[in-house]
Amino acid sequence: MHRRTLYRLTYLAAAMSLGHHLDHVIRHNAVGWPLTGQVNAFTVSLVVYPVIATGLMLYRAGRVGPGFWALVSGGGAVFVSAVHFGPAAVEPPEMILGGYGPSVLGWLAFAWLVTFVAVLAITSLYETRPWSKQRQGRPATRPATGVGTGR
Amino acid sequence: MRPQPSVPAAATGVGGAVLLVGTRVALWLGVQLLVAGLLVLAGVTATGGQALNGVAGWWMVYGALVDLGTLGVIGWLLRRDGSTYRRLLGPPTAGWQVAVGALGVLAASVPAVVFSGELTSAVYGTAIAPMFAVVDVPALASAVSVLVVPLLAELAEPVAYLGVVLPRLERRLGRPWLAAAIVVLMWAVEHAFFPLLVNGARLDLEFAAYRVGSVLPFLAIWTALYYALGRRLLPIMAARWVFNGGTAFALAFGLVK
Repeated sequence: MHRRTLYRLTYLAAAMSLGHHLDHVIRHNAVGWPLTGQVNAFTVSLVVYPVIATGLMLYRAGRVGPGFWALVSGGGAVFVSAVHFGPAAVEPPEMILGGYGPSVLGWLAFAWLVTFVAVLAITSLYETRPWSKQRQGRPATRPATGVGTGR
Repeated sequence: MRPQPSVPAAATGVGGAVLLVGTRVALWLGVQLLVAGLLVLAGVTATGGQALNGVAGWWMVYGALVDLGTLGVIGWLLRRDGSTYRRLLGPPTAGWQVAVGALGVLAASVPAVVFSGELTSAVYGTAIAPMFAVVDVPALASAVSVLVVPLLAELAEPVAYLGVVLPRLERRLGRPWLAAAIVVLMWAVEHAFFPLLVNGARLDLEFAAYRVGSVLPFLAIWTALYYALGRRLLPIMAARWVFNGGTAFALAFGLVK
């Protein structure tokens, strides 16, 4: 159950990330390499796809557990929040809300971003619980065998 | 429909869920209309609209009546079903787990805070959101709204929706995601009923819609976290208490500009 939920959350986060990058491409603001010559937060954020792909392979092989996903999704939530919502945000909400002709599209893109960050944060908290149990040596999810947490 | 093994055993019929949500909405409406009616009858205000806007200033205080009524219904349901309030709060949770979980809930609520802030700016510009702008109560009532109401709200509201209504809907529908979506929607719509504001001679429906939209991401995130935390309510209640208590404190001390 836990393993299936994790896969679902990961695929959902990846899809939402892809949608947000697509939003960048359509608006064509705050984009960087490979769309422009500049290396910026957009470029750095593309590293998430190989990280997810590698993580899924290692998780399937039992080499990484819930701690990996808790840190990756938590780190992703912090990174995206800092870039968009933080005091030194390089792409504040106004750039998304005002990035489209019809304002409803801007709100749709912004709601998408908010949901994306929420999914990352929720995934991180969801994985923190079995990770904590694992560290305490209690029965916890074993990725290699797929034994669930009973949820 | 086969019962879901993860749904608390105390969950029974969906009638209790309807009763609980209906009671909350009826109490919000009843208290506001009753006091507004008394103000008109006593000649304090000339029109019902003025009376409702006057009553709205007290919503952070009379919310206690709604939560007390909710607790009454929860208590009645628990006695009828032979269950306990503690069981509604989920598996045992250590103090440190509540603290760490609450911090996580607060962090995960950041996107909702940002969305709500942007929505407020889009609808009301630089003005304070109306539900905060209307608050105007004497010092003693402010103290109640800071010390008593947020605590009562946490003992009643999330327990009602996540501890009572959600498991019953899950049992009835057999699909947790659908039950969760309905709960989030109902919970958000409840916010349209308080405070009732009148613009001109009509209810301010734009404000009611804004209320629903601004709380929707919070409620969706908290409901998702309820599952993510293994159906533990205490971290969510603690985070909400910090959030709502902090808001009441900021309003009482004029820190909201």
